[in-house]
Amino acid sequence: MFQDRRLGLALLAPATLFIILGFLLPVAILLSGAFQTPTGWGISSFTEFFAKPLHREVFWRTFRLGLYVTAISAVIGYAVALSIVDASDKGKGRLIATLVLPLMISPVARTYAWVVILGKTGIVNQFLTGAGILDTPARILFSETAIFIGLIQLFFPLMVLPLISALENLPRDVVPAARMLGANWLQVFWKVILPLTREGLVVGGTLVFVGSLTAYVTPAILGGSKVLMLETLLYQRVSVANDFAAAGVIAIILIAMSIITNFVLKRLATARKGGK
Amino acid sequence: MRIAGQTILFLVLAFLIGPFILICVAGLSGGETLAFPPDGLSLRWVARVFEVDSFRATFTVSITLGIGATLLALLIGVPAAYGLERYNPPGANAIRNILSSPIIVPGIIVGLALLRHLVIPMGVGILPALFIGHTALLIPYAVRIVSGSLMNLRVDIEEAAVLLGATRLQSFIKVVLPNIRNGIMAAFIIGFITSFNQVPVSLFLTGPGVSTLPIDMMAYMEFNYDPSIAALSGLLALMSLLIVMVAEKLLGLSRYV
Repeated sequence: MFQDRRLGLALLAPATLFIILGFLLPVAILLSGAFQTPTGWGISSFTEFFAKPLHREVFWRTFRLGLYVTAISAVIGYAVALSIVDASDKGKGRLIATLVLPLMISPVARTYAWVVILGKTGIVNQFLTGAGILDTPARILFSETAIFIGLIQLFFPLMVLPLISALENLPRDVVPAARMLGANWLQVFWKVILPLTREGLVVGGTLVFVGSLTAYVTPAILGGSKVLMLETLLYQRVSVANDFAAAGVIAIILIAMSIITNFVLKRLATARKGGK
Repeated sequence: MRIAGQTILFLVLAFLIGPFILICVAGLSGGETLAFPPDGLSLRWVARVFEVDSFRATFTVSITLGIGATLLALLIGVPAAYGLERYNPPGANAIRNILSSPIIVPGIIVGLALLRHLVIPMGVGILPALFIGHTALLIPYAVRIVSGSLMNLRVDIEEAAVLLGATRLQSFIKVVLPNIRNGIMAAFIIGFITSFNQVPVSLFLTGPGVSTLPIDMMAYMEFNYDPSIAALSGLLALMSLLIVMVAEKLLGLSRYV
């Protein structure tokens, strides 16, 4: 019944053309700008970009924060996913809905909550000065720590949800079997659970790492104009200095890092399974 | 072991949900500046949110944009999902990659690209460009969620409808659509929320006169330290909570995320 390939293509045409004309083409032209030099083609935009210490600093900060956020989310994510999978069916549904809910709330609202908590007159400073631990409010906002906390809260659900589905697909008997054969909890996790749920970890890790690298709202609100990440740097270069060369370079870096992360982590996921 | 797990679970949920409770309380402050604990309780800043002209204007833009972009994304995304799932046309994999490409490219770059290579050289207005950017961003979601629903729908009921004399269009409208209705509704809700909350795509496509609510909030908080942003954030969180609770009850939304 579904042999008519022309009809199939006709169904696909509107969406495909829309994406090509309204998205791929403008983005491709913008990206090609990063390889243009006054005299032709080349990579001088990149060498110029990385010649500035500030740009190198922002690049490494973005990379570092992405790694920290991903690693911490993975460690806590396993603990949370394991106890959610253990819960009763009804409790499990409620817990998953609680994890999904923050994803549906405006990131601006979510991030602004940390201004209320970490700001000069926020709850943390009120407590520290009220208890006499500090004389003047500490400056917690506009720091890497503040961005780190904001990113963890923003992206943690994206790590836990794939881990939960991976753990649900774990064969029921493997953990009791390993325990009966004398493995301790750490061994069970390292040799049984981790290898069998690797794909969930890879999906979650990709979402969190790429999400952190390309975050805009969190560093804009919690980092301010001093503690920049790549996206806030891009915005600043364009809006303050009309520096489209730097914008093109950052765009290429962000897309390349997304694609490389996807590729590397996918390879890890499909690599030989089993502990050894 | 179990107790340790429960404790971590509780702490993490408190970390995820707690800030919303705090921001709602901070928005009910009676004082002049943002503080926690708030200086007395009052609804003055909640009322103030509705008095700020730019919030009202940008709220309308965001709602219209969210609904319009999601509808267009579904209008062209549902046929695309159907074509991919049922007809497996030549080059299906390449088309799949093209249709999901907006997910890989950071939104801020999409906005900048549309500004530089669509708005400026071709004289396209800022609003239409915003509409194009949001729609492109939502097409991957629409295609993925609707494809999922189509995959779970048996092909033979369509074949039966055609054998019994229905045209292809009739069988699509009378047999397929009712069966993937929940998926389409979930895609609509997720698409609308994604567009409504979107910041990076809109960043370069707003300016004096045209802005979306989240962008306007970020501009406002740069120069004001009063509790109105906290009050507005609380209202937005409650709005999302309401939508998600209704959608969870009717569709089981979290299956589609």
